[in-house]
Amino acid sequence: MINSKKIIWGVVVLIALVAIAFFSMKKSPEAPDTATKNEDTGPIKVGVILPLTGDGAVYGEPARNIYQMAVVEINAADGVGGRMLELVVEDSKCTGETAVSAAQKLINVDKVKVIIGGFCSSESLAATPVAANAKVVLFSPGSSSPDLTGASPFFFRNYPSDASQGTVLARIAYNDKKYKTVAFIQEQTDYAAGVYKAFNEEFTKLGGTVTNESFPTKNTDFRAIVTKIKDAKPDAVFIDTQTPAVGTRIMQQSEQLQYKPALIVNDVISGDPDTVTQNAEFLEGALTAEFGIDPQNQKFQHLITAYKEKYGQEPPYQSYAQTEYDAVFMVRDALLANGEDGEKIAKWSRTVKDWEGASGKITILPSGDRDGGHSPRVIKSGKVAPYTK
Amino acid sequence: MDIIPQLVVNSIIAGAIYSMVALGFNLIYGTTKFFNLAHGTVAAIGGYTVFYLSKSLDFPVLPSVIVGVLFAGCIGYLVDKSVFRALRKKKASGMVFLVASLGVMTALQALVAILFSSQFQTLSVGSAKVYQVFGGVITQVQAIILLCVLLIMAGLTLLLRFTRFGKAVRATSDEEEVAKIVGINTNKIIGRVFFLGSAIAGLSGILVGFDTGIEPAMGLSLLLKGVIASIIGGIGNVYGGVLGAFLLGFIENFGIWKISGEWKDAIAFGVLLIFLLFRPQGLIKK
Repeated sequence: MINSKKIIWGVVVLIALVAIAFFSMKKSPEAPDTATKNEDTGPIKVGVILPLTGDGAVYGEPARNIYQMAVVEINAADGVGGRMLELVVEDSKCTGETAVSAAQKLINVDKVKVIIGGFCSSESLAATPVAANAKVVLFSPGSSSPDLTGASPFFFRNYPSDASQGTVLARIAYNDKKYKTVAFIQEQTDYAAGVYKAFNEEFTKLGGTVTNESFPTKNTDFRAIVTKIKDAKPDAVFIDTQTPAVGTRIMQQSEQLQYKPALIVNDVISGDPDTVTQNAEFLEGALTAEFGIDPQNQKFQHLITAYKEKYGQEPPYQSYAQTEYDAVFMVRDALLANGEDGEKIAKWSRTVKDWEGASGKITILPSGDRDGGHSPRVIKSGKVAPYTK
Repeated sequence: MDIIPQLVVNSIIAGAIYSMVALGFNLIYGTTKFFNLAHGTVAAIGGYTVFYLSKSLDFPVLPSVIVGVLFAGCIGYLVDKSVFRALRKKKASGMVFLVASLGVMTALQALVAILFSSQFQTLSVGSAKVYQVFGGVITQVQAIILLCVLLIMAGLTLLLRFTRFGKAVRATSDEEEVAKIVGINTNKIIGRVFFLGSAIAGLSGILVGFDTGIEPAMGLSLLLKGVIASIIGGIGNVYGGVLGAFLLGFIENFGIWKISGEWKDAIAFGVLLIFLLFRPQGLIKK
C-alpha cells in the first residue's frame, strides 16, 4: 500500500514538473531572455496590467493602443537616457484574482520594477499588496475607488479618487457660494461614503457644518429625511447616491414636498444625461464636479490627433485616455530620475508636483492620490456646463 | 415652517402604504395561517403589469390599473392552485409552506427581472399634483392611496361580515377541518381569498409604483413593513392591520425626527420585537 501511494505521489510530482516546464517554455517567446535585463544598454521592461477580455475590454484595448503609442514616441526621442522602453502587457480581465496572477508573473518572470495598472479598482486593490511585497511600483491611470487612497507606499495613481470631487465641491461651496451648512443625503455604499468623507473633511476644515442623513440602498421613502432637512434649512443639500435612479427618487419626493433647495450632486447623477434632462428643472443651477477633459490642452490635442492618425478614429473614453498617455511619460521620468529601483520610484512618486500632462497638472499627494482632478461643473437647462464664478 | 404637520402627513402616507400590504397579507394569513412571502412579489407584478401596459403598449392609465389588479389576483390564485393546494393536500407543515412561498417569491422576482431588467422604473407621468393640508403637502397619488385604503377596509369588513362568502371565509379561518365537515369547499374559498388578497397586493404595488417607483425586489421590503404592521395591530384582523400600519408609520417618521434617518428600519424592527415579546397578540386581538 505504502509503495503504491509513493508511486502515485511520484507520478503527480512528475506531471507537475512536466507541466511547469511546458508552460514556461510556451511563455518564453513572449518574454524573451530575462538575462539581458541587467545590462545597461538593453531595453527597460515596464509591466502593464489591463483588461483585454471580458466587460472591461472596451477600456483595455484603447488603453493598450495609447501605451504603445506613447512608448513609440518616447523611444523615438532617445527612450530613457538612451535605453529603449519595452512594455510587457498582461490581461487582468477586470478581476482582482487575475490581476494578482498577472502581477506575480510580471514581477517574478519579467522582473519589472514598475507596473502600469490596474485599470479597474478591483484589479489595483488586489494587486497592490503583491507589488508592495516585491517592492515594485503599481501606478494606476484608471482606478478611482477611494479605498485605494493610502493603500500602500508602492501604489499611486494619476486618475483622481472618486472622493476628490468631494474636496473640490467643498471648496467651491464654502468659498464661492458662501454656504455655511450643507445637508447630505448619502446612500450607504463605499463610493457615496467616500464622497461624503472627503467633502465633510474639507468643508469642516474651512469652517462649515455638514449634517448627514444616510440611508440603506433599498430605501424608497425619503419623505421623512427631506422633511427634516427642509425644516433644518441648510444652505445647500448634497445628493450623494450610488446610482442615478435613487437620486431621481430623492429629487421627485423633494419636489412633491415643495422643497427646492440649492443643490450639489455627485458625478453619478451629473454623469447620467437622462437623469439630468429628466430633472432639468429641479437640477437647475446645481453644483457638481466631473473629471473631464480639456480640449485646449496641447498635449491632449496631440494625443487625440496622433491616435486618430494611427488607429483611424478618436480614442474612446477620453478622460482615461489622457491619464493613460500621461502615465507612460511619468514612468519615463521616474526611470530617468531613479533608475530601475522600485523603492526609489515609490518615494519619487510622492514628490511629483504640477507635472504637465495631457490631463492637466498632476500632483501626487502623500496618500498616492492625484490632487484635485475633478473640475467643478454646473447644471444649466438640462446640460452639464463648466462652472464659472 | 413648522415641521410637525408635514411629519404627520408623511406618517399617514407611510401608514396608508403599509396598510395596503397588511390588508391583503392579513386576509390570506387569517384564512390559511401561513406566512406567504410571495405576497410582496405579487405586488411588484401588479406594478409591472401597469408599467408594461401603459408605457410599452400606451394603454390609458385606468384600464391598465384594472388589468394590473386582476392580473395580480390571478397570479395569486394560480400560485395557490398549483403550489399551496398541493401542499395542503399533503398536510405539509408551516415550515414547508414558508419555504415554498420563498421559492415562489424568488422565482417570480427573477422572472420579473428577466422580463423588465432590475432597473428602477417609475409609473408616474409628468409632475405630481400637490395639495396643501393643514400646513403639510400631499400628492394626488398619495391621496388616492389613502382613499383606497379606507375603501378596501370598509369593503372587506362588509364582505366578511355580511356575505355567505364572508361567513365561509371566517369558518375556514376558524377551523379548516370543521368547515370542511359542514360542507364548505375550503379549497375554493382559499383560492378566492388568494385572488382577493393578491389583487389588493397588486393594487398596492401599482400605487407605490405611481408614488415612488417599482423594481423587481421591491416586494420583500414592502411585505416586511406590512407584516410588522399586521403583527403590531393584531395578525389576521382587518382593522388591526390598518391600525398597526398607521402606528408604524407614525413611529418611523417621528422616530427619526431627532436622530439620523438611517435608524428608520432599526426603529421599525425594534418595535416589532417589543410587540412580539410583550404583546404578541397585537393591539386588537382577533
